[in-house]
Amino acid sequence: MTDGDRLTRPLNPSPDRKMGDESGPSAPDVQKPEGGNELLRRMKKIDPDQAKKYRQRSGQ
Amino acid sequence: MMRPILAGLDTEYGFSVEARGAENQIEDSQAFVRTYPGTAFVGWDYRHEAPRSDLRGFRLEALAFDPEDAKFDAGRSYGSSVEIRSDRILTTGGRFYNDHGHPEYATPECFTLKGLVGHELAGDEILRQTAEAYEAKTGKSVALYKNNTDFHGASWGTHENYLVSRSVGYEKLFKGVMPMLLVRQVLSGSGKVGSETGAKVPYQISQRADFIVEPSNAETLYRRPLFNTRDEPHSRPTDFIRLHVISGDANMIAASTFRKAGLVKLAVALTEIGAAPHWDIKDPVRSFQSISRDETFRFEIPLAKDSWTTADEVLESYFAAAERFLDLDDELKFVIDEGRQLLQTLRTDFPAFARSVDWAAKRQMLEMYMQDSGTDWNDPALRSYDLEYHNLRPEESLHAALVDMDLVPANPAPVSEPERSRAWVRGYAVEHFGKYLKSAAWRSLTFEVDGKQQDVELWPDQTYNLELDALANVNTFIQAMREMK
Repeated sequence: MTDGDRLTRPLNPSPDRKMGDESGPSAPDVQKPEGGNELLRRMKKIDPDQAKKYRQRSGQ
Repeated sequence: MMRPILAGLDTEYGFSVEARGAENQIEDSQAFVRTYPGTAFVGWDYRHEAPRSDLRGFRLEALAFDPEDAKFDAGRSYGSSVEIRSDRILTTGGRFYNDHGHPEYATPECFTLKGLVGHELAGDEILRQTAEAYEAKTGKSVALYKNNTDFHGASWGTHENYLVSRSVGYEKLFKGVMPMLLVRQVLSGSGKVGSETGAKVPYQISQRADFIVEPSNAETLYRRPLFNTRDEPHSRPTDFIRLHVISGDANMIAASTFRKAGLVKLAVALTEIGAAPHWDIKDPVRSFQSISRDETFRFEIPLAKDSWTTADEVLESYFAAAERFLDLDDELKFVIDEGRQLLQTLRTDFPAFARSVDWAAKRQMLEMYMQDSGTDWNDPALRSYDLEYHNLRPEESLHAALVDMDLVPANPAPVSEPERSRAWVRGYAVEHFGKYLKSAAWRSLTFEVDGKQQDVELWPDQTYNLELDALANVNTFIQAMREMK
């Protein structure tokens, strides 16, 4: 583990920031791609209740 | 050049047989694994398995189990644990078996990320081949999903294994790797509609976050940790630790698998030389869940002393430290360059980001559906589309549909030839000297030749490049193995 003076400390941690500051990353402007017909065609074949029926044993 | 870090991936698959339920899953998965049509050796050696040993220097009396899941076993008897597990050791050196009702495939150990991903994809193919054989034999169809949740509160794992020097110890390993396990979901999560904890969440990044409830412990079935402390090195315990990571998701996009493991390798390599960034994270579990559920994509992480950082900053701190202190190979250089690029495109070009990261690809897919159908995140059908993204059959999988539409890239071909790690020795023995094998495990092979039992230790840090003479017969093979160290 590095000690406090090593360069491996975060580059821009702004350690004085408090929760609620608005200086962090922000959500993207999500643009939806065109041409979803093949996807939607395949989705129409799916039982919309499929997930309700999907029960599994807990694993690791 | 930094030492290559040996790694393996274990994938438990979602699994159900036509007209059968979770209450039958253990018997069904057992029968399924036994239908594997390829060459395999039956005779796993459990001597070295110690799931209750803890890296912190103690041994648990018992592992915790999910009380809800245990109800499925009421009044049932399954036979011996060896019969239930039905281990198959493959000619690649990998392993295929039944784990708590889930067919599980473990890759052969690989030094490279490319090999690891190729063998992980080979596991998908093994599952498909087994399904075909099982369906032909029983006349019942099988559903296979490469995911980690059933949306009803059950979860199963996609585990990662990394060889670490024992000299590192628990404290340094936890501090050096845990922050990476916390933040890498941004670049490798598989995404999930809703939450299984009762929280009102439309969509989250991680399939596993709802099930991660402690910072570190040795549990895997219940009360799962962000950092797993199971001390089961599968090699000489005085020399090595096997870092056992259970908090990651199964990936459909192979590039995400590559990145997921590469990011941990960066953290391990930095930790081993004492150069991992120090992050004093206030509440790792709460942060793991809040990053997963953050609809703003700010990914803030509270630190001690009322400060905070972001997942982006934590990732960049590892990238910068790795560039400064490690003699990186090309694969890890790529992980860093691509990671930085993805953090940029996440907020500037989401479709480009979604080409490489499952949670984003799936989210984009669901948004296309909602736009077309005029529904929103309250549409209960979304969970079914989420599930079908992970369907292992290309003709049904929504991930495969995205590949067909060129919204995500096609995965590379599976790999069938093991790297020259100890897995190669195991696979070669299965393929060529199976009739002499008595048992096999990750760290050893036991042969019986002319009535004499002979154990061979397999070294995890060794590259096995054998001369042809050594492969002439079982005796030359055993002798060559014993001379490796």
